[in-house]
Amino acid sequence: MNALSPKNGRIGARTPLIDGIEKVTGKAKYTADLTAPDALVGAILRSPIPHGRILSVDSSAAEALEGVAAVCTGADCRVPFGVLPIAENEYPLAREKVRYVGDPVAAVAAVDAETAAKALRLIRVEYERLPAYFDARKAMKPGAVAIHDEKPNNVLREVHAEFGDAAAGFAAADLVREKTYRFAEVNHAHIEPNATLAEWDEARGWLTLHTTTQVPYYVHLKVAKCLELDEARVRVVKPFLGGGFGARTETLHFEIIAALLARKAKGTVRLLQTREETFLAHRGRPETEVKLTLGMTREGKLTACHLEAVQRGGAYAGYGIITILYTGALLHGIYDLPAIKHDGWRVYTNTPPCGAMRGHGTVDVRAAFEALMNEMAEELGLDPFAVRRASLIPTIPYTTAYAQKVMSYGLPECLDKVMKASGWAERRGRMPKGRGLGLACSHFVSGTSTPKHWTGEPHATVNLKLDFDGGLTVLTGAADIGQGSSTMAAQVVAEVLGVDWGRLRVVSADSALTPKDNGSYSSRVTYMVGNAALDAARNLREKLIAAAAKKLDAPPELIEVVGETYLVAGGQHPGLSFSEVAKAALIDTGTLTVKGTFTCPPEFMGDKRIRGSAIGATMGFCYAAQVVEASVDEVTGKVTAHKVWVAVDVGRALNPLAVEGQVQGGVWMGMGQALSEETRFHEGRPLHGNLLDYRVPTMAESPDIEVLIVESIDPNGPFGAKEASEGMLAGFLPALMDAVHEATGVRPTELPLTPDRMVELLDAREAQS
Amino acid sequence: MNLLPDFRFLRPTSLDDAVAALAEAPGCRPLAGGTDLLPNLRRGLGEPGALVDLGAVPGMDLIAVEGEQLVLGATARLEDVAASEQVRGRWPVLAEAAATVAGPTHRAAATVGGNLCQDTRCIFYNQSEWWRESNDWCLKHKGAVCHVVPKSDRCYAVYAGDLAPALMVLRAEVEIVGAGGSRRLPIAGLYHEEGRGYLTLAPGEILARVLVPAPAQGTRAGYAKNRVRDAVDFPLAGVAVALRREGDALAGLDVALTGVASAPLMVPGLEGLLGSPWNDQAAKAVGEAVRKGCNAVKSTLAPPKYRRRVASASAVRLAARLWEAYS
Repeated sequence: MNALSPKNGRIGARTPLIDGIEKVTGKAKYTADLTAPDALVGAILRSPIPHGRILSVDSSAAEALEGVAAVCTGADCRVPFGVLPIAENEYPLAREKVRYVGDPVAAVAAVDAETAAKALRLIRVEYERLPAYFDARKAMKPGAVAIHDEKPNNVLREVHAEFGDAAAGFAAADLVREKTYRFAEVNHAHIEPNATLAEWDEARGWLTLHTTTQVPYYVHLKVAKCLELDEARVRVVKPFLGGGFGARTETLHFEIIAALLARKAKGTVRLLQTREETFLAHRGRPETEVKLTLGMTREGKLTACHLEAVQRGGAYAGYGIITILYTGALLHGIYDLPAIKHDGWRVYTNTPPCGAMRGHGTVDVRAAFEALMNEMAEELGLDPFAVRRASLIPTIPYTTAYAQKVMSYGLPECLDKVMKASGWAERRGRMPKGRGLGLACSHFVSGTSTPKHWTGEPHATVNLKLDFDGGLTVLTGAADIGQGSSTMAAQVVAEVLGVDWGRLRVVSADSALTPKDNGSYSSRVTYMVGNAALDAARNLREKLIAAAAKKLDAPPELIEVVGETYLVAGGQHPGLSFSEVAKAALIDTGTLTVKGTFTCPPEFMGDKRIRGSAIGATMGFCYAAQVVEASVDEVTGKVTAHKVWVAVDVGRALNPLAVEGQVQGGVWMGMGQALSEETRFHEGRPLHGNLLDYRVPTMAESPDIEVLIVESIDPNGPFGAKEASEGMLAGFLPALMDAVHEATGVRPTELPLTPDRMVELLDAREAQS
Repeated sequence: MNLLPDFRFLRPTSLDDAVAALAEAPGCRPLAGGTDLLPNLRRGLGEPGALVDLGAVPGMDLIAVEGEQLVLGATARLEDVAASEQVRGRWPVLAEAAATVAGPTHRAAATVGGNLCQDTRCIFYNQSEWWRESNDWCLKHKGAVCHVVPKSDRCYAVYAGDLAPALMVLRAEVEIVGAGGSRRLPIAGLYHEEGRGYLTLAPGEILARVLVPAPAQGTRAGYAKNRVRDAVDFPLAGVAVALRREGDALAGLDVALTGVASAPLMVPGLEGLLGSPWNDQAAKAVGEAVRKGCNAVKSTLAPPKYRRRVASASAVRLAARLWEAYS
C-alpha cells in the first residue's frame, strides 16, 4: 500500500484550528461553563488516611440536612471499574477499604455549595488504620500488608522477557556499563480541572453526561456498568476540553460519582473538582527507578540492553499493566538492538493511582537509555551522533524482535537536520563555561493496533453527511482535546473532495450523534481516524462523481473534479458546481450519510507467541532527535534551557502549524519533567496539590523550540502521516542531562534537576577534585 | 473549600473611617489587592467576619517623591512601583524587587502594603481545609503542633515578601495608623520572627505609608530572588544588598533576607567590613553572616540546606557585582 498524495492544497497547509475562534474569543463552553440552572452541587468526601479499613459510614445527619438531595456511599455502587478488563479494582466510592489519602468515600448533592460542604462535614466515617506504603521498594518487601488482597506482594504485574541473547550481546561488547536512574512522579497539570455535569431523566431512566474526558466511549461503558444501566440509556458528550495529556484516558471516579448522585437525586448534578482534587485523581507518570545495562562496540554499535524498571504505581491498577509493559516495548523499534532483556515491576502503593501520561511508560526508560548512550559515547571517545548512527535500523521495512513493523523511518534524517541546525559540529565541545549542548533521540507509537476492548469493530469510523444545502458535516467520535483532531478530520475530507473549507463543519464526541471512537490516547487519532475520514471522503466522492456523470450523461470514469467543478474530460459542458452535484446526488435518496472506516491489519497487532506484544504494537513510529542548549548557574544551581532544535519524523505533516504546536508542547512537557515538576507527599498527603507547589514551567522558562519537520511518508498513514505529539517528549530529558554534563562535568541521574539537586551534584564534584 | 466564608464588606472613603471600621469589628481584616488574603480565605484560613477594603481611601495609592524621600502609599500597586520612573531612577532596587513578585496579573492587583504584610507560608499551612484537618491542623491555625519542628512552641512559617528586604537595606520607615493616632518605625520593627505573630501591628492598626529616604550618595543596591521558576514562585531565599564604595574601601554594606525565616531580617555583623576593600575575605565573611542569619527549616518543598546555601552564595555574588559596578 502506498500513501495517497495530496493534490488539492488542503493537506500540508498551515491551518488554524477549526475550533480556534471559539477558544480565543472566550466563547468556547467547557464543562463547568454549561448552563444548567437547576443543577445541584456535587461534592466528594475523601479519605483522610492513606490505608485503612472502613468500619462504618454514617450519613444519616447529612441526609437529614435541609437542602441535601442525595448522599451516596460505597453501598450505592457494587461494580468496580478500571480501564483494563483484566484489572478492574477501583470503586467510585470506596467499599471496605481506602487505599490513598483522597480516596472517595462518600458524596453529596445539595442545593448549593455551602449546603454540600456542610453535609460532607456531617458524614461520620470510622476507619481502622493499616500500615501504608509510599515507596515501591517498601511496598514490595516481604511481610508488607497487602493493599489489594489478591496481590499479597503488592506487585500488580511483574514482567520478565528476553529477546535475542543478552549475555552473548554483552560478551560481544567492547564496553558494558550499568547505571541506575531515578525519575520523580509527574502529573499532566492539564489546565482545566476535572468536571462533570450529570443529568438524570427520571421519567425515561436516561442519563446524560457532559464530562472532561479524552475517552467518551470508555466513560459511556463504565458509567453504564457501574450504574447497572442499559448502555442505550446513556449519552456522553465531551464539550471543549482544556487539555488531557493522558490524565483523562480512562473513566475517573468523579464521572461515575456525578452519575450516581444525579440518579439518586433524580435530577442534574454539577460536580466540579478543585485543583487539589484534580491532582488526587492523578493518573500521572509513576515514580520510576530504572536500572539499565548497555553493551556497545568500540564503534558505538549497541550490542545488548538489560532493563530493570520499578514503578510506584499508586493505589489502583488503572493502566498499570500496560505502563510496565511499555517500559520494555519501546526498547524496540528505534535502533537496531540485537538483544534485549526486560524486567519490570509495577507496584501498588498508598498514593494516588498513576496512569497514562504523554509518552506512556516509555519516557523514563528512554531518558535513561539515551543518557547512558551519551555517557558511553564519551568513554569511547565517540560523538553522540556517531553512536546513534552506528545503531540505526539497517533496512526498511523492518520487524523488531517484539514483532513491531517499522514501515517508515525518518530518524537518520532527523539526526542530520538537528546536527546542522544546532551547529553541533562547530559548537559542541567549544561552548563557553557553564553552557552545553546535548543530544538525544526518542520515538512513540501512532496508536496501538490492538484495542483494549475487543469488539471486532473497525478501529475507527467516521460519518460524513451531505445535505440539500451543499454543506458537509464530519461526524466523528474522536475527542478533540486541543490537539486538533477535528481540524485534521476536516482537512482530510476537504483534501479528498477538493471542496471549499467553509462547507465543512465537524461535530464530534457526542454519543447520540457521532459514531463511536475509542478515544484520544496513544496518538491513535490522526492515523486511525484520519484514515477513516479519508475512506468516508472517498466514498462520498464516488457518489458525487456518479451523480455528476448521470447528470452530464457521461461515464463516471470521464468525470474530472477541478476544485468544486465537476467536468467531463474533453467535453464542451462548462461543468457542474458542487451545489448542483450535491442536489443531483440527493435525488431519490435524500440526505446522504456515508461512512468510512479503518481497521489495522492483523500483521500489525503483535505476535501471539510473544507475551505482551499487543502493547507497543503499532502501524508506525514517530521518531525524533533533539539538541538542547542549556546553562547551569553554579551559584544558584539553576539549570536553564535556552534553545531546542527538534527534528521529528511525523510521516507527513497534514497541518504543519498544528504539528509545530504539538511538537513544541511535547518538548516543553519534557522540559517540565526534566527541570522542575514532581509530586511530593507528607505521609501520603500531596504537598503539590496546586500550581504553585507543582512547578509547571512558566513562559519565563520556555526556550525557543525550533521544529524541523521530517516527512518519511508512511505507506499506511493518511497521506503518509504518523503521530506528532508524544515521540519527542522523552528526548528532552537526556539531551538536557548531556548539555548539563558539557556545562559542568557532572552527569545527573535523578530528575527533575531542581536547583537543590544540581548544587548537590556540584558539591560532590568539588569534593572529588 | 473553594467558597469564601461569609463576611461583611466595608469600603471606607477615608483612613480615619478605615481605622474606625477595623476597630469596630474585632478580627476583621484590611483588604487591598487580595492576592494573598483571598486565596487563603478560600482555603478556610480564617473567618474575618468583615473585610475593610482600602481601595476607596483617596491618595492611599500614592507613589511620590516628597523632598528627598520616596513615599509609597500602602495600596500603591506593585505594577506601578515597578514601572515608576521616579522609583526606577533613584530607588531601582525597589522597582526590581516589585517586578519579581508573582506574575503580571498578580502585580496589577497586589499592593505595597499587602506585600509587606503578606502572611507567612508553610507547606503544612497553605493547603486545603480537608488536607489540614487530616493532618490535625497546625500550630499556625487551629492546631497544637508545628509539623515542621514538632517539639517547638513557636511557628516556623516563613515570611516570603519581596519588598521588605529591599526596603530594609534602603532603611525605609513605615507609618502605622491606629485609633490612637499614627506612629513611625523602621521597617524591621514591623516584624517579629515568629510565624503566627509575624507582624507587630496592634489590632485595629493599618500600615498606611512607607517612607524611603534617599540613599547615601553613591549607594548601589540590588535584589537577588532565588526560586525554581522565574515567575509565580515565592522566594526560596531573597537577598537585598546595598553597598557603597569609596575608593578601594567599603563605606556601606547592608544585607537583608527574605524567605529564610519567619520575618525579613537584616544580616547583622557586617560593620567590621567597612573601611576595607571587597575581597575574598570579605566575601567569606558576608557568606558566613548570611548563612548564620537564615533560620530556614523544612517549611518549603526545597530543602533548608539549599535555601541557606543559595542565600549565602547569591548575597556574595550580588555584593561583588555591586562593588565591581563602580569601576
